[in-house]
Amino acid sequence: MKNSFVELHARELALSLLDAGTSRELVGPLDNMISPHLEPQGIVPESDDGIVLMKGKIEDKNVLIVSIEGKFQGGGIGEVSGAKIVAALEKALEDNQNGKTIYPILVLDTGGVRLQEANYGLLSISEIQNVVIALKKYVPVIGLIPGRVGSFGGMSITASILSYLITTNKARIGLNGPEVIEQEAGVREFDSSDKNLIWNTLGTKQRLATGLVDEVVDDTVDDIKEAVINEINAKKDAHRTENVDFYLSLLDQLDLNKKLDISSYDKLYQQVKTTKHEVADAVVGSEAGTKSRGRLWFEKLTGIKNAKSSVPTVLHAPKDGKEYIAIVPDAKNAFPRVRNGEVGLQEGFAVASVVNKIVAEDKNQTTKRPIILVVDVPSQAYGYQEELIGIHVALGSSAAAYAKARQAGHPVIAFIPGDAVAGGFLAHGLQSNRLIALDDTSITIQAMSKASAARITQRTIAELEEATKHVPAMAYDIDNYEKLGALYKLVKGIGSWDATDENVAKIKQIIDDAIQSTVNKPANLHFRYETPIAKESGRKATLQVRQLVTEQW
Amino acid sequence: MEKSHFNFDTKEAISKPVHVGVVASGDLEVIFRPTNQETEVNVVTGSDGFKEVWGNVLKRFFDRYPIQANIEINDFGSTPGVVNLRLTQALEELKDEK
Repeated sequence: MKNSFVELHARELALSLLDAGTSRELVGPLDNMISPHLEPQGIVPESDDGIVLMKGKIEDKNVLIVSIEGKFQGGGIGEVSGAKIVAALEKALEDNQNGKTIYPILVLDTGGVRLQEANYGLLSISEIQNVVIALKKYVPVIGLIPGRVGSFGGMSITASILSYLITTNKARIGLNGPEVIEQEAGVREFDSSDKNLIWNTLGTKQRLATGLVDEVVDDTVDDIKEAVINEINAKKDAHRTENVDFYLSLLDQLDLNKKLDISSYDKLYQQVKTTKHEVADAVVGSEAGTKSRGRLWFEKLTGIKNAKSSVPTVLHAPKDGKEYIAIVPDAKNAFPRVRNGEVGLQEGFAVASVVNKIVAEDKNQTTKRPIILVVDVPSQAYGYQEELIGIHVALGSSAAAYAKARQAGHPVIAFIPGDAVAGGFLAHGLQSNRLIALDDTSITIQAMSKASAARITQRTIAELEEATKHVPAMAYDIDNYEKLGALYKLVKGIGSWDATDENVAKIKQIIDDAIQSTVNKPANLHFRYETPIAKESGRKATLQVRQLVTEQW
Repeated sequence: MEKSHFNFDTKEAISKPVHVGVVASGDLEVIFRPTNQETEVNVVTGSDGFKEVWGNVLKRFFDRYPIQANIEINDFGSTPGVVNLRLTQALEELKDEK
């Protein structure tokens, strides 16, 4: 194991990739930029918050290495760690835009959102995804998933968006870890003690066979460095989140009557006949769809009664020059794991298809149509076949589509009358320029259910609830969420179910104001750092990190 | 989590700040910073109730290497042997470029 890459810590790992004597660390351990949210919860912090940012050279090319320390808090992304990644990638973007080529390399060893800083993790991860999409116009953004932890949660959604993924056979990749699926859907869905099944499903051998990673190399520093150099030189791009028609065709051809196993999936993957898929606009239906806050507001905002569509969980319709999109529950859905409105495979790919079409149609227009997301997503879908097929790519496809739409000049506005949770929110909501929410106590806005979060962080639910009192980002309600400063507006006095004509008119006005507020403003996600609440308290550490990265860049 | 604070009357100045280690399970990170004040060690540890052990480990270290420094330790349940190892590694980092 002398030259094993996987065994190295994040800092050693970054250094091992760079040519000797060329490295310079940004916002390192001596800068004292620790997470302000861990100590109040009785958790030992780390002086670099688990992220190593290193500039340097590989064979005379300028590179930025972002290396996540999987051994500190499972490589989870919180406020400071997330802001370090976003700020450094944004500086790299700026350099590339100014003609100074610098190649970003992300070393992912991460469980995704750091549950102790939950909502900060989700915000940061969506911001990382946004800048990755922007960077890919200039340079390939190479991802390395060396392993032990692998890549999970929101950071797997990010991984799906990266240009090219290099891994070793010591890594696993998935959206929901087996323990979370077991917690949410039962042991019959996924047995988290069956290590063999886990490795065979989420391990890189299987992921390589079905297009979820691009290369598996031996675990030595030399092999990995060589792969990185080759792929940068070849400007590789797997376009992983652009295979929407392929996956929608695959899902059509899936036999949902029996439990999907690995060999039959591999066979199906090879045999899929890709046909063009278009999600038809929602039309008036004869019977009411499964009741939800999201459906209610979609129908009221678009004026379509009992809205139905060719994909029962994805409603899309134009109204007054705006494009409305909602993901809704469907009690009889063929995919059991999305029946409560969760974002699953079909939802992610179908939303991507809708958004990509809008962007393509407006390509040559000077004014781009606003896209309005009605957000009521209780979570992503927790299921075995979802993981086997690669639900993180489905969610990555819609997140990427929204980010591209926004970057192309479409105002992307999220209206939140219902839940906004975890991967569901990353896929449908968090790539918006503006977030509007109703001030209703029924709204849950979080990274993981209490039961799962308690299990993963090895705390009791009572301890978890105690922690939410000290750290607003841990809380599950919209009023605490407001304290982070990410909202454009928290609408008081309108309940989640109060979609009266008068209230609908009010919301329409607020949406129009939000669209107006994006005119001549940068199409990035900086709005979230610039609200008075963000500056005063909500994103104080974020802003400090951004300042430091800029100074040291 | 428990925080503790120690002072030592040691006078050998160090030349630069150094950092070693990772806050991984059974491991710790150590930061030495030069100071002209009294030597000070601030420990944050995930394992409660070992203040006396910390005191002993640190005293033994400073008896052998009486450096004057401001030291920060973030610990995630390492044994005294590992603590001593990381402290010594930090010293080696100091010597490296001398």
